[in-house]
Amino acid sequence: MKKSNLGHLLEEQIIWAVVDEKELSEEGHNHLVECPLCQGRVEQFMVELQVFGERANVSVPPLTKTMRLPQAEPSAAKYGARWIPFVAGAAMAGLVLFFYFLGMDAMSPKLATVQDQEYLLEDEYLMQEISEMVEYPLPAELYEITGDAADFDDDFLQFVLPDFQEDFQS
Amino acid sequence: MKIAGLAENARDGNRGSFQELMIMFQEDIYRLAYYRTFSQMDAEDITQEVFVQAYRKIKTLHDPQRFRAWLYTIAVNRCNDFLRKKKYLFLLQSRSAREQEVEEAGEKVNNNYTDTIAKKKFWEQVRLLLDKLSAMERQVFTLRFMDHRNINEIAAILGKNESTIKTHLYRALNKVREESGFFQEYRESIS
Repeated sequence: MKKSNLGHLLEEQIIWAVVDEKELSEEGHNHLVECPLCQGRVEQFMVELQVFGERANVSVPPLTKTMRLPQAEPSAAKYGARWIPFVAGAAMAGLVLFFYFLGMDAMSPKLATVQDQEYLLEDEYLMQEISEMVEYPLPAELYEITGDAADFDDDFLQFVLPDFQEDFQS
Repeated sequence: MKIAGLAENARDGNRGSFQELMIMFQEDIYRLAYYRTFSQMDAEDITQEVFVQAYRKIKTLHDPQRFRAWLYTIAVNRCNDFLRKKKYLFLLQSRSAREQEVEEAGEKVNNNYTDTIAKKKFWEQVRLLLDKLSAMERQVFTLRFMDHRNINEIAAILGKNESTIKTHLYRALNKVREESGFFQEYRESIS
């Protein structure tokens, strides 16, 4: 740091001393400690700034507004408890709507038609099976054994099972 | 220490602790806002907004020891936002509306400060002085000599390192020193 010709601190050093004395060089700092004139210059500037600050402080009009904080936010428990009826109501409404639309779907004409057709087909297959069973009561293997004799004529049956009337008469 | 304790409690959700902090700091924050807006009404509104914002964001305060710096940061940012908006609105206004506003402001000042014209003159001088400083120099000068914060705190509030703050403060003081007329009456009153 430079010094003035008279050996005292320069104006910029006085300002640096006001900002922070540690910013002065060792030489400048030593001079400031020893020189009452430079000390006086630094102190005077500091006092001017201090008086300025105090003047500003007292020149501010008084605070007239009462400061208010926002309403306290409810705690998590209260927050949850307050919403329980709403949540329960919404869930109930959801369930009602779900079942309502489910019922609507089940009863819808489009689906009923499809189901009817399915049932009709099933019935048809069932009736077909019953008819086949009536017509062919024995398993298919037995029919293979009997071969074409499956169509028994009356004479053959008479031979196997003679009429009882004839027996009685004889 | 007490501030840190209250800040910690407030951060944990204690509304009463925050209210205590608000009572402790409301005058300081109001003055800070006034030094930047030169309007009682605006400063009061800003002070209210600062505490509402601080209350809502208190959980983001990492270090309760630095509550003051944290609160001042909110306040400085709020003031900057306000001044920026005001500047844009001022530019958008027609000239006649602007003149009318200035006249109204003048009347308000006269009504509020009827006790002393000296106060009005003082604030006019302060405005002229601060207008000569850059935005950063003005911030640093105001925080140091009007809000009475030290270099370390100013660095924390503005989020800069201390050497940067010192450089801006030096430049600001250099300009203030050049305004010999401003401090003349103080010199006279001191001597």
